[in-house]
Amino acid sequence: MTSASELAWLIPVLPLLGAALIGLSLISFNRTINRLRKPVAVFLISCVGAAAVLSYAVLIEQIGGAPPTEVLFDWASAGSFNLQMGFRVDALGAVMLALVTTIAVLVMVYSDGYMAHDKSYVRFFTYLALFSSSMLGLVISPNLLEIYVFWELVGMSSYLLIGFWYDRDGAANAAQKAFVVNRVGDFGLLLGILGLFWATGSFGFEDIGLRLSQALADGSVSHPAAVILCLLVFMGPMAKSAQFPLHVWLPDAMEGPTPISALIHAATMVAAGVFLVARLQPIYIQFEEVQAFIAVIGTITCFLGASIALTQMDLKKGLAYSTVSQLGYMVLAMGCGAPVAGMFHLVTHAFFKAMLFLCSGSVIHAMEEVVGHEPVLAQDMRLMGGLRKHMPVTATTFLIGCVAISGIPPLAGFWSKDEILGQAFNAFPLLWAVGFLTAGMTAFYMFRLYFLTFEGPFRGTDAALKAQVLADAGRVAMEEEGQEGHGQHASVPHESGWQMAAPLAVLAVPSVLIGLLGTPWNNRFANLLDPSEAAEMAEQFSWGDFLPLAGASVVISLTGITVAVLAYSLHKLDLATAVAGRFPRLNAFLANKWYLDDINDRIFVKGSRKLARQVLEVDAKVVDGVVNLTGLLTLGSGEGLKYFETGRAQFYALIVFGGVIALVVLFSSF
Amino acid sequence: MPLDFSVAPGALAVLGGDHAGAFPWLSVSILMPIVAGLLIPFIPDPGDGKTIRWYALGVALLTFLVTVGAYLNGYDPSEAGLQLIERVEWLPDLGLAWSVGADGLSMPLILLTSFITALAVLAAWPVTFKPRLFFFLILAMDGGQIAVFAVQDMLLFFLAWELELLPVYLLLAIWGAKKRQYAATKFILYTAGGSVFILLAALAMGFQGGGPPSFEYTALAAKDFGTRFELLAYAGLLIAFGVKLPIVPLHTWLPDAHGEATAPVHMLLAGILLKMGGYALLRFNVQLLPAAHAQFAPLLVVLGVVNIIYAALTSFAQRNLKRKIAYSSISHMGFVLIGIGSFSALGTSGAMLQMVSHGLIGASLFFLVGATYDRTHTLQLDEMGGVGQKMRKMFALWTVCSLASLALPGMSGFVSELMVFVGFVTSEAYSLSFRIVMAGLAAVGVILTPIYLLSMLREIFFGKENPELAAHNTQLVDAEPREIYVISCLLVPIIGIGLYPRIVTDTYRASIEALVLREQSVMARVLSPPENGLIRNAQPVEWMAPALLQAPALG
Repeated sequence: MTSASELAWLIPVLPLLGAALIGLSLISFNRTINRLRKPVAVFLISCVGAAAVLSYAVLIEQIGGAPPTEVLFDWASAGSFNLQMGFRVDALGAVMLALVTTIAVLVMVYSDGYMAHDKSYVRFFTYLALFSSSMLGLVISPNLLEIYVFWELVGMSSYLLIGFWYDRDGAANAAQKAFVVNRVGDFGLLLGILGLFWATGSFGFEDIGLRLSQALADGSVSHPAAVILCLLVFMGPMAKSAQFPLHVWLPDAMEGPTPISALIHAATMVAAGVFLVARLQPIYIQFEEVQAFIAVIGTITCFLGASIALTQMDLKKGLAYSTVSQLGYMVLAMGCGAPVAGMFHLVTHAFFKAMLFLCSGSVIHAMEEVVGHEPVLAQDMRLMGGLRKHMPVTATTFLIGCVAISGIPPLAGFWSKDEILGQAFNAFPLLWAVGFLTAGMTAFYMFRLYFLTFEGPFRGTDAALKAQVLADAGRVAMEEEGQEGHGQHASVPHESGWQMAAPLAVLAVPSVLIGLLGTPWNNRFANLLDPSEAAEMAEQFSWGDFLPLAGASVVISLTGITVAVLAYSLHKLDLATAVAGRFPRLNAFLANKWYLDDINDRIFVKGSRKLARQVLEVDAKVVDGVVNLTGLLTLGSGEGLKYFETGRAQFYALIVFGGVIALVVLFSSF
Repeated sequence: MPLDFSVAPGALAVLGGDHAGAFPWLSVSILMPIVAGLLIPFIPDPGDGKTIRWYALGVALLTFLVTVGAYLNGYDPSEAGLQLIERVEWLPDLGLAWSVGADGLSMPLILLTSFITALAVLAAWPVTFKPRLFFFLILAMDGGQIAVFAVQDMLLFFLAWELELLPVYLLLAIWGAKKRQYAATKFILYTAGGSVFILLAALAMGFQGGGPPSFEYTALAAKDFGTRFELLAYAGLLIAFGVKLPIVPLHTWLPDAHGEATAPVHMLLAGILLKMGGYALLRFNVQLLPAAHAQFAPLLVVLGVVNIIYAALTSFAQRNLKRKIAYSSISHMGFVLIGIGSFSALGTSGAMLQMVSHGLIGASLFFLVGATYDRTHTLQLDEMGGVGQKMRKMFALWTVCSLASLALPGMSGFVSELMVFVGFVTSEAYSLSFRIVMAGLAAVGVILTPIYLLSMLREIFFGKENPELAAHNTQLVDAEPREIYVISCLLVPIIGIGLYPRIVTDTYRASIEALVLREQSVMARVLSPPENGLIRNAQPVEWMAPALLQAPALG
């Protein structure tokens, strides 16, 4: 009997076939297929669902202690080189497979409700299936080369889905930004992979680690060179997992439909970077500098995301920066040499953050009924408030998510975050302090989101406030007048339908309970990924070490929550005057997202445009100019061929060839 | 394409020297379209060109089938040497013979030519101005281009090379856009100027060493020219083929020619004409002049990197859609240069695959440009915008083809660029620092390509519909079945190669490996002593050094 692991290649292939079939039909029989909404949705959900079933079978096998499976074939070859492809299933991969398919199925069910009124419903589901396929392919990739392939493919899916509403300028810009910023990371990743291949002759994770240490030992690769290669490879995860300074694309990516934000830009794709770092542990573990660099980047990101989230008024943007911050925690864990802790946080975060995003989607969906289909209005928390009465399921699950992410035991976030902080405390005490502070900020901004959205009076019908929100976003209020006619159906928001509420409820279960799999005294999660480490952890565990650290974490979280309660629920504390008024610079700094977007725009966007224009000018005036000038001086337009008979052609061509040199000189003058 | 080994006995019979009974596949595929084209004036046609269109399509398809037949029945991919040989003495005193054959270097390109030409005829459906002449020229080009790849005699090659010039000139000058005369003249001057070098080199190589002149590749390959002669011939040929490929700064004819050409001509220019340059570089510069190649190869790599970055930047700044795509072609051909200069089987194989892949992708993009122009009547990006609202299928096709062009995995461009990268980086011929700098710079293209392609998509399709466009009373009709069919025909091989590149690489693997082996052994002999950093000590690198140190300023 074949085991599930041997069939693991079907996991990405099933959704791919589904997506390809529907995609082709969309091109060929557009009208027909667009009318078959429900059948298409059911078909694609079953494709991903089948992949989910298979994934769970694989996971169960792995829990049962099955050995890793790897199957390879020659993909491209020339001379003595073979580029291999295939698949590999091990505990780490199995966990990710189960995670991705679970959330993908839930998000697809949810999308049926969320996208019900969209005219591109079928296209949306096709993209979702395509994404699932690429992401699952990434997870089962046996080597760096194949990782790179799927890495690009998830990037493409993300591009397509961010730009899903392509008539919106915001979405169009965000999609392009996401792809280009990710390509900057891929530039490093590609060079790093090539370099590692040059150094070790292999693309496999363990092979590279092993041969690199051999090469270092016998001196054929120098230590700095190896460090540079590792850092180049790390550029890929930095872009994909939104680490400082390449995080700028992720908040903008919220222009995509909310289910996408939940699936791709919170739970799965952005975690791919962390997953890759976990895969590369056999390589990174050899270099302390690299580990420290990774940890520092993670800490900066973690603090940066949380600090910007403090002042966000857009519900989705607030969650997006929270994602950036949490990804920072995971990367910090990787840098501390604790991939298991990082992976555990990845898993818990995926569940509660997907749930939080889906809640925000549910809120936006409800708000649209009141304020119209204008993202600026529907996502602004100044217009929300009091939604708990109208949307009890959403409010309850959102609150569970807030408690989970804030790190209150026994919910999921507590166990995973605490484990990371504990590791950081041992490895880099300074970084632990920053991470610890960030934990307090996290609790504060999450409860700020909750209170602004769900408690207090409902402000969505306040016309003056609406006008102000629009004005802040740089829109003219006139536009809003036009929107008033259609789009508005009700004066109070309503709870979403079962397709949207059910996934929330389902996700609430792991958000509460899954942390219990990773208690430090009996870490079943670590036991699956790395049994020796789990045994070691259990052995070293003592309440004396655990309680002070965990207690401190809980205390700072509770402090954050208390401040939020005082400020936004009881209104005892007026933060606007107490903090924002007293430190206007700091407030502006945070509200402008550390001015990173402005710097990017000025240096990279404008700079590259200018450079391109200059080169084009050189091309048109200098290179082409020489050609035309020679032509004018020596040729009448009809007598061209005579010229070549006179034997002076060599001279002519030599002039042009001299252009190569001229060109290089010109380049150097920039 | 399945590798049908069951036909091997037939192939052996052809190879057996006496091929009286064998079908002359290659001669037929060269001569049939030309002869059939000459018959066009006698075809009765009511005046709208309908019969002629169908006739031309039939001939082009038949030619495609003949080349496929040649591949299946007379070609053994595991054989490195020349196959499908046909030889007829023509002017024995001059050593001139009608000699055609195919090996791994030419077979994929012959198939590509007949395939793209058939699609170009389909793309030319809307041509109603002088259809007889138009389709005659297209068919003549078909035969001429197959001849360029199939002939095995350098003088014949020269003739075929020139033969293909005339149709392109006329196609540009008669059916082009506003500046067509300028573009056509520029094209003919540039290419004819380059051709002079081919003729000179061919004559010199043929007569070199005394005895009866012979221009056949096999005879030339056996000759020992002496290093100085080789260097001279190499430099001349490099200029000639550099115009065609094109190599910056010999490229300025291309944006003009592409900017003025109609869509089907466009497809042929990008799909096949540029590949003649790459093919000829491999055939003559690498195969016949390996000693000079060992000296010149670093220059090729440097020029390839310059191509990639320079053309990507100019493409980004271009506001005219056709010229933008034209520059993107130049950028992609840079990988061919790097691959040819890489001294590795993987890299050279990647260069070959890049030619095939760009032939398909370039043709698809240029076809889409034409189809879009038919609807918007403008090529200026500023005048477009929000077109995606009404042309959703067109948007989808554009997106897929642009993603293919920016080397998305799963499509052919990715595989070929990756093979070039891996081949070059692992090549033992170059010093480590040279490899690092060049690979790093070439990888900048990885960032630049999506910047210009995605911002192009953004400007054409995304956002609100441009009010000017609506005011011009343009008919933004969505893609019609013919157009979807043409693009699908191109996408099937693009994705097929992307998923399993060996369907193509295995067809020429043996030839490329033999070629690279020869390259490497000659290099070792020329640049002795054979120790580390062979090429660093060679003369060209020394005078090249300032250039490659300056190029990084771009990054």
